[in-house]
Amino acid sequence: MREADPQASVGSWWSAVAAIAATYVYFLIFAEFAFIELARTAAPTTPELRQLMTGLGAGGVVGAAGAVWWLRRIERRRLLAICFGGCAAAAGLAAAVGAKAGYAAAAAAVGLALGGLTVTLSTCLRAATAGRGLGLAIGLGTGAAYALCNVPAVFAASPRAQTLGAAVVALAAMVLPRGLRTETAPATASPDSEYTRAGTIRWVAVLLALVWMDSAAFYIIQHAPDLKSATWAGATALWGNAGMHLGAAVAAGWLLDRGGRGALAGAAVVALALACLTLGGHLPGTVPARWFYTAGVSFYSVVLVEYPARRARAGLAALVFAVAGWIGSALGIGMAQDLAQVPPAFVAIAVAAVAAALGWRGRVRPAAAGLAAALLFAGDSRGAEADPLVARGREVYIAEGCIHCHSQYVRPKVAADVVNWGPAPTFAAGTGGLPPLLGNRRQGPDLTNVGNRRSPEWNRLHLITPRAVSPGSRMPAYAHLFREGDGRGEALVAYLASLGAETQAERQTQIAAWRPAAREALAAPAAAALFRQLCAPCHGPDGRGDGPVAGRLSLRPGDWRTGPWRHVPAGAEPEPVLARIIKFGLTGLPMAGHEYLRDAEIVGLARHVRSLHNPAPGQAGTAR
Amino acid sequence: MNGRAPDGAVPYARVVTGYCLGWLVAANAVGLWLGVVLLWPAAGDALAPFTFGRWAPLHLNWQLYGWCALPLVGALLAWCFDPRHPQVRWHAHAAFGAWSLALLLGGAGWLGGTTSGKLFLDWHGWTRPLLPGAMHVLWALLAAHTWWRWRGLGNGGRAARVAALAMLLAVPTVLHWSAGREVYPAVNPDSGGATGAALLGSTLGLVTIFLLLPAFLGVGGHRAWRTTAAALAASWGVFAAIDHGHASHHAWGQIAGLGSLLVWTVWLPWFWLGHAWPDGVRPWLRAAIVWWALLVASGWVTFLPGVSEAWKFTHSLVGHAHLAMAGLVTSLNAVILIVLSRRPAPRGVWAGWQAGCAVFVAAMLGLGAAEAERAGELFRSAPWTQALLALRLAGGAAMALASFHWWNENRKA
Repeated sequence: MREADPQASVGSWWSAVAAIAATYVYFLIFAEFAFIELARTAAPTTPELRQLMTGLGAGGVVGAAGAVWWLRRIERRRLLAICFGGCAAAAGLAAAVGAKAGYAAAAAAVGLALGGLTVTLSTCLRAATAGRGLGLAIGLGTGAAYALCNVPAVFAASPRAQTLGAAVVALAAMVLPRGLRTETAPATASPDSEYTRAGTIRWVAVLLALVWMDSAAFYIIQHAPDLKSATWAGATALWGNAGMHLGAAVAAGWLLDRGGRGALAGAAVVALALACLTLGGHLPGTVPARWFYTAGVSFYSVVLVEYPARRARAGLAALVFAVAGWIGSALGIGMAQDLAQVPPAFVAIAVAAVAAALGWRGRVRPAAAGLAAALLFAGDSRGAEADPLVARGREVYIAEGCIHCHSQYVRPKVAADVVNWGPAPTFAAGTGGLPPLLGNRRQGPDLTNVGNRRSPEWNRLHLITPRAVSPGSRMPAYAHLFREGDGRGEALVAYLASLGAETQAERQTQIAAWRPAAREALAAPAAAALFRQLCAPCHGPDGRGDGPVAGRLSLRPGDWRTGPWRHVPAGAEPEPVLARIIKFGLTGLPMAGHEYLRDAEIVGLARHVRSLHNPAPGQAGTAR
Repeated sequence: MNGRAPDGAVPYARVVTGYCLGWLVAANAVGLWLGVVLLWPAAGDALAPFTFGRWAPLHLNWQLYGWCALPLVGALLAWCFDPRHPQVRWHAHAAFGAWSLALLLGGAGWLGGTTSGKLFLDWHGWTRPLLPGAMHVLWALLAAHTWWRWRGLGNGGRAARVAALAMLLAVPTVLHWSAGREVYPAVNPDSGGATGAALLGSTLGLVTIFLLLPAFLGVGGHRAWRTTAAALAASWGVFAAIDHGHASHHAWGQIAGLGSLLVWTVWLPWFWLGHAWPDGVRPWLRAAIVWWALLVASGWVTFLPGVSEAWKFTHSLVGHAHLAMAGLVTSLNAVILIVLSRRPAPRGVWAGWQAGCAVFVAAMLGLGAAEAERAGELFRSAPWTQALLALRLAGGAAMALASFHWWNENRKA
């Protein structure tokens, strides 16, 4: 092997730094930022923008895989120059187009060129730095790029100016490959065990978790005006970010050259976790979030390049950038778009996964796993402050899977549906939710109009102790939703109360007009048995109002043996009124209806209830 | 056993059968638990906050994306993978492993309450990109193997694979998009359920896959391909012609369109039986044919005005779903696994599964038929409803045992 020319080696090292910086500048200021802002003009809705981002990501994966193939056929410095040229052309295309189709083409082109560029550059760096100070070169290039993108004039420039700037940077970078050394150099500061199949899987998992967290946090900051201004508003903040990025990235590079990749990834995940938890309001303050975020991003961005570069194998680089880079970004952005936050449970799982992948021992790993499990299955506080109670209750309804047993669809042409479950809302109203919660089974009643069929008090009691209130009910107990400090139960009750509010008047008319169709009633012994099952929990076995649930009601049931009817008007025939109350309940009171009973059962129960009535002389028939 | 793969088996057959049967066992175990807590709800309360509604998505999605989908992935591997590649088993592991990881993490998410609220499309929040990500891994492996065997393929084989890969590339994006809460299919305004067009389209999708299955598995046959393809094209033409909006089951176009599927109750069996299936396949194939005929016929009858009103929202639909998944799809998936591994299912599995499935379906159809008029008795756990749910549990237990036996024998093989 011939002795390397020291001057050439120094020049090559700095060319590598510049190539890394150019790549990151292109990615940060254009692909991740300005391109989205430009595309938003033609694709203003989230689904449309998502399609473009999917095209960009898919292009990135294909570009990374394509680079592996091209590197077998084209000398890598030449391919690197071609990729820089492709990036410049793609940015130029994005600046030139105006229609959605044009942005779709530009997205695919940006992804392809950038995917190819990252893999190709990764295979050049070890030779270019002669294996000396590889980490530092990557840290310096990465930090410089982040710092440049945070320079106020660059940051505040228009998306079109940023796009053209990125195109110029990529075009200029086409000359850099000429200065890169090509002789192979030994890998340093990294044991072979980190590149075995298991080691590779571990590191791809670590980097995937880090990119995932970063992308989600970045999206959250970008789309929350207060967070955005706290993070990126003002020249002072931007210069501060620039300094933090540069310092952290250079420190990371220095540490990597001393074998500190594991510690660095650990520091990155902790910093990003703290940033995510602060952004979600789970920890106080937004200023620390900014520092945690910038430090964490700088740390892992250097590792992301250094890990595959240290081995200089195209396949490994493609795997890392495709899975951790492109797919990780998609996962993070998708999560943030759906949930508008980074769930603490996800943060805990990510930390636990990184801890497990890095092989941390002792108390750290079980503690992280325990924290992950606790957060995953603990009360979900999604949107607790931001959403109204009813909206949150709907989320609880979805999360608890109520849809698996309850429908919310009254079939307008099915008479029994309309009588039992209330008036059918308009089709648009019934299918208008996001998503519609129509359901496809009724292991319990339809809930379309449950708000005017059941009082909040009854719903609360039933959710907490379903079989005490409705003996034989198959519904699970949801007492855990009502524990101290957990607002999910009350939110769910509020959501249920909101269902059918608009059909209240129509329902009352419907109830008033109802008459049992059956002339035959359930036989007296069967009706008595049914009473004991369905009514005795509140009214007691003899109608004295002393059932086991009675004490938990805001209005204790009356004693039919000694008191007058409360809800039968004076002079009215009790049986039809009682039948109506049994079927439909009493609006606003804990007395719930039994809409699903057959008419013969209703009439049988009404007769049984009447038979229990034995008021004191002179008290019958009052309308209390 | 000496561990050597039988003649004709693909080299990664045990990988495929291991993952597929593993997911069948897991999904059945969850289904069994659901059966228990429906019968004895207090048992479920002991596991709160993991209540019935939290477990249900695991059963549904693990059955659909685990057991129902993975054998088809195995067939796809058999079509695309280069069996001579030294890393082919590892690649199969990677494809099935990534898919399984997505299902596992998805399960954790659903159990934790992260769900879209859309049945069979529960992928939401951080779980939403998981399966599309795994599908990308699978696609990359399929593409790589297609590339490696490119020179050994004829022009037709190349064109077919390129076309298939192009179509498959869209699947992850479509899945990701369709899981969004803002996306919802057309709704039958008179039933709140699927439209005839939607049912026809999804079933024709299955028919298309079923017709391609012998080719994917490399099973030779002597049936007229062109006539069959023309019939399939005609069916898709019917689908294209009928209303795709919010159409009612009272609309004659929807009724006739769905009824056009009845042709396939004869044609598909005729097509299948004209192939040279290896040993051990025929019993499963015959069972699939019976379930298929019952599925299409009952699906159409229960769509008809008057019948739909009585069956919708009842356990009859649970029975119908199991007729499709546990009856038809499972029998066909058994065919795929047997062809790939050239090993018949262990003794007793066929009988145990089919009997369990028949009992299950009959119990649910019976409960559903009575339930429409007597919903109150279902809600308050009247003894006759408990008896039918217990029968369902027994059927489910038989299927779970059969699947476990098969998985265990495969593990030991």
